[in-house]
Amino acid sequence: MSETTVLALIIVFEVLLVGGMLLIQPFVVRRGLVFGVYVGEAAAEGDEARAIRRGWLATMVATLAAAGGLGGLMLALKLGPPPLAALVPAIVLVLGSYGAYIRAHLRARPLAAPGAPTTAAATLSTADPSLTLPLTSLAVALAGGLAAVAYAWVSYPDLPPQVPTHFGPSGRPDAWSPRSFSSVMLLPLTTLLLGTAMAVMACLMTRAKRAIRHPDGGISLAAQQRFRQVSANYLALVVIVMTAMLALMSIFAIRTGLGLAAGMPPALMALVAVLLVVAVGGGLYIALRYGQGGARLERPAASAPLTNGLADNSRWVLGIFYVNRDDPSIFVEKRFGIGYTINFGNPKAIALVVAFLAIVAYIVVAGVTI
Amino acid sequence: MVAPLVVVLDRDAGEAAYEQIASQIREAVATGALVPGSPLPGVRTLATDLGVNFNTVARAYRVLEEQGFVIIRDRSGAEVATPAARASRQARAMLERELWEVMARMRQAGFSERDLRKAAESCLDRLKE
Repeated sequence: MSETTVLALIIVFEVLLVGGMLLIQPFVVRRGLVFGVYVGEAAAEGDEARAIRRGWLATMVATLAAAGGLGGLMLALKLGPPPLAALVPAIVLVLGSYGAYIRAHLRARPLAAPGAPTTAAATLSTADPSLTLPLTSLAVALAGGLAAVAYAWVSYPDLPPQVPTHFGPSGRPDAWSPRSFSSVMLLPLTTLLLGTAMAVMACLMTRAKRAIRHPDGGISLAAQQRFRQVSANYLALVVIVMTAMLALMSIFAIRTGLGLAAGMPPALMALVAVLLVVAVGGGLYIALRYGQGGARLERPAASAPLTNGLADNSRWVLGIFYVNRDDPSIFVEKRFGIGYTINFGNPKAIALVVAFLAIVAYIVVAGVTI
Repeated sequence: MVAPLVVVLDRDAGEAAYEQIASQIREAVATGALVPGSPLPGVRTLATDLGVNFNTVARAYRVLEEQGFVIIRDRSGAEVATPAARASRQARAMLERELWEVMARMRQAGFSERDLRKAAESCLDRLKE
């Protein structure tokens, strides 16, 4: 496959799959929420809310067309270095979707339900989602990560002065760097730290705040429980496949350096494909089958009001950031989009995010400097 | 599907949040909605779901434990206690005193002797053995 074909495929993937994921967002949110504003269950189905959704949809379709068109044009006219043709659509998508969201959010604000909700409801049910798969993913992340780190550590003295640090599509090395802690340990440490951090998040997700409707006869609770379970299991599966992939890459990078292998094994490409299918397919499946927070499962009770933090506009900044010092929650479900955000009013949640960002920053900085 | 029990806090009620939690759990136990041995969510879980401080829920559970409604099981949660087989002399004296005060207040509020009997019978009917 030529580089142009690969780039064209990446652009199509970005526009169709990522764009598709973005487009379904307002249609899988929990009823009562319009672009991060709680307007009440009836108003969310009213004419004004529909008009805001239509306006957003038009902006998003234009954004997708601009992203695809610009990428295709850059590729056809060979403008700039080739990878830029795939990067520009991604940037257009990110900026365009945030812009469209903020505009829709500001339009939805005047519809906001007045005042903070005076009641908070919580279930006395003790049925928590199972931790089996999230804990398994934690064990896999630790075992795979430690094995990769240990192998790199033990092999370090035997490595040549120049070690392979980049591999081409064929799996053969195409870039080398001087042997150093970063150039040898970056991938094993990434395997260990990223996998462990994500597995811990999967475990915490099973215990995320349950934002129920009341009174609804328990329908929203059942929907929330199933959503929590499937979200945590999804992340756990991603961690397991990602750890297998990164551990294999770490070990074969070292083996190539030692002259024991010619490059990455063919099985690696299969793992990359599995990871893509699990990550993208799983995300789409959860959005369409469950909806955000189980929104699609709770439809029989969707006219009962939302409770607690999710219904409290005074606790949300731009409908994106939840800030509530009185709430001990770490993870809370997003008002817009699929999955969870953190409670920025909780120091523990902030510490968790800072730790995660530190890991990502280390990977990026070390990756750029080797 | 049996609807799960729900605790509702009303911030405008004027009653402390811990007392609202305790009173609703007491009500569920008294009416048999929660039977002895039923597990209750841990302090952390209930505080997270309600969006209130841990201490608020912990205080509600402590009050319920003192009153013999729940048994607290370390961090993992609590369960509904079995009612005592016989009232102790101390409990009898204290609770009879409280009942006496409530009846005195009812009488002062205009309840006739017939109203008082009716109210007491209605309470007894709601209490599940």
